[in-house]
Amino acid sequence: MTAERKAENITAVRMVINWLGLGLFALLGVAAVVPLFLIIGDVYVKGIDAINRLGGLWHFLTGLPPTPYEESGGIGPMLVGTLYMTVLGALLGIAVGFPLGVYIGEMRREKFANVARAGVNVLVEFPTIVIGLFVYAVMSLAKEDLNLYLLDPLSRTISPVGGWITQFIGPLDGFNAYAGAAALSIIMIPYVALITASAYASIEQPLREAAYATGGREFNALFVVLRKAVSRAVLTAALLGTAKIAGETAPLLFTAFGNFYYAPFTGPTAAVPLWVWYAAQTPYEVQIASAYGAAAVLLTIILTIFIIARIRG
Amino acid sequence: MLGFLLVVLLIPYLIAAYGLLFVKLRWGLRLFGAFIVATIGLLTVMFLVEAYPIIARDGVAVFLQTGWDPVRESYGVLQALTGTVLTSAVAMALAMPMALGVAVTINEILPARWRGVFGSLVDLTATMPTVIYGLWGLFVLGPTLQSLVNTLARDTMTSPYTLFTAGVLLAIMITPYAAAVIREGYALVPKPVEEAIYAVGATRFEAALIKLRYVRNYILGGFFLALGRAMGETVAVAMVVGGNFVRFTTNIFESGITISSLIALQFPNAASYQYMVPALFAGALLLTLFGLAINAVAIYIIQRGQI
Repeated sequence: MTAERKAENITAVRMVINWLGLGLFALLGVAAVVPLFLIIGDVYVKGIDAINRLGGLWHFLTGLPPTPYEESGGIGPMLVGTLYMTVLGALLGIAVGFPLGVYIGEMRREKFANVARAGVNVLVEFPTIVIGLFVYAVMSLAKEDLNLYLLDPLSRTISPVGGWITQFIGPLDGFNAYAGAAALSIIMIPYVALITASAYASIEQPLREAAYATGGREFNALFVVLRKAVSRAVLTAALLGTAKIAGETAPLLFTAFGNFYYAPFTGPTAAVPLWVWYAAQTPYEVQIASAYGAAAVLLTIILTIFIIARIRG
Repeated sequence: MLGFLLVVLLIPYLIAAYGLLFVKLRWGLRLFGAFIVATIGLLTVMFLVEAYPIIARDGVAVFLQTGWDPVRESYGVLQALTGTVLTSAVAMALAMPMALGVAVTINEILPARWRGVFGSLVDLTATMPTVIYGLWGLFVLGPTLQSLVNTLARDTMTSPYTLFTAGVLLAIMITPYAAAVIREGYALVPKPVEEAIYAVGATRFEAALIKLRYVRNYILGGFFLALGRAMGETVAVAMVVGGNFVRFTTNIFESGITISSLIALQFPNAASYQYMVPALFAGALLLTLFGLAINAVAIYIIQRGQI
């Protein structure tokens, strides 16, 4: 065999290995996203069927959850609780996460900013159930004094406003919507902070100098002028963070606890993920069906937020 | 207690916001940084305090003994610890090849306009609620895996809900987290290096391998970040792991328990027993320490190897 033939053979072997190798990588990559389609398909096929069987879409979105002996039911209280806690948690998360992100993104030469960044990196990876337990522990310690010194007098002062206010403000139970929202916000803070930080860090130096030159006070330069440069990234961060916390279950287990009825937010509060978690593990077919319906509703909410974030971002 | 909490949480926030708006921006921002560090410190201290009764009673034994017997007030989390290690091992073994596949597929194989779509799909996998994964694992993945394993090897998997099921489900859930870090590193391979790789006549597959070796710090960092996720994941695992918190097992085809799912499944009736709440907080403390350690390693690796 001549040297030329040998080289040709080696080239052929390498080409074959090339295609096999690339094929393997592609196969593995595709394997990572195939379950996504299987899950979405499964949830919608069974979920839509369940919603129809349990009394139609409107009844499903507003009704009380089915007991094991009922034929129809919905997830009304859960939907209200999820929306309330998600909005509160997201607002709180942005209120703390955005300035924090500005700090670790804009002042990254400070030593303490690096400590804070490490803290945020740790918190974003923290097991969510640990955060739920933390809020539970804080709540169980703080509840009595909080009610005695703050919320009892407060609810007496505002009682002339009308009875509806007691749905929102009043002496707290051990489990309540505000503890749930607090746990969700702790999960949201690092998401917003990290994306804000990388957006601020990617601002070019001339733009930053121009902002300081026109902005006057440092506050105006950072939060008014430069905000325009990063608003898109921060909005995406806020939306993705909201999508993430809307589906969180573990942090709500010991903070919001779950409920089957429309109830004041000062007591145990229902949430869609909590209902999916509870109902899927019951042996009753009607409740399993409602778990699938609830999962379809939850998935729709999250897909909507996700798609909006992707189109805007 | 209220005063303490106000001092620790609320008042610093208000001072920070006030300082940021009206006094000196820099100090206001610093307080926000202090806020997050204080939260993590407070969390660890809180778990130490809550877990103290059982650690005072049993010492380190609570982490080293098996058996969970509330009636006798005897608690050990070793079976949960083993379960966490086993499920994470299965998950990492399956997830890392998939994460590498995702990174190479996005950067080398797909045409430019499909990259964004594929990347979005991977991100969506990370955003999906964990409880929906649990639901799918409970009714689809578990039974499928059982029949699959049992056709390959008769009667190895007696229940659809085992440590193996949890591991496979976890692998699907954590792949995007590892992939995100690897993708980030992969995109940072300098252009001259890439050109040099092709200049010596490398095929695309060989180029991919060389680039992966170039970003090995990111791969290791992604590995640890994904491992942290796998160890802490709660709801989806609790739904498919089988909830066997009594018997110690190292067979992945049997039902078991992990630390986080032990907390999720046992906490609702913990208040009726004297030492169960401290025992569960001891588990949470263990999770926290693992989380801190793993993240510290991951952050160190990624920062050391920054290209």
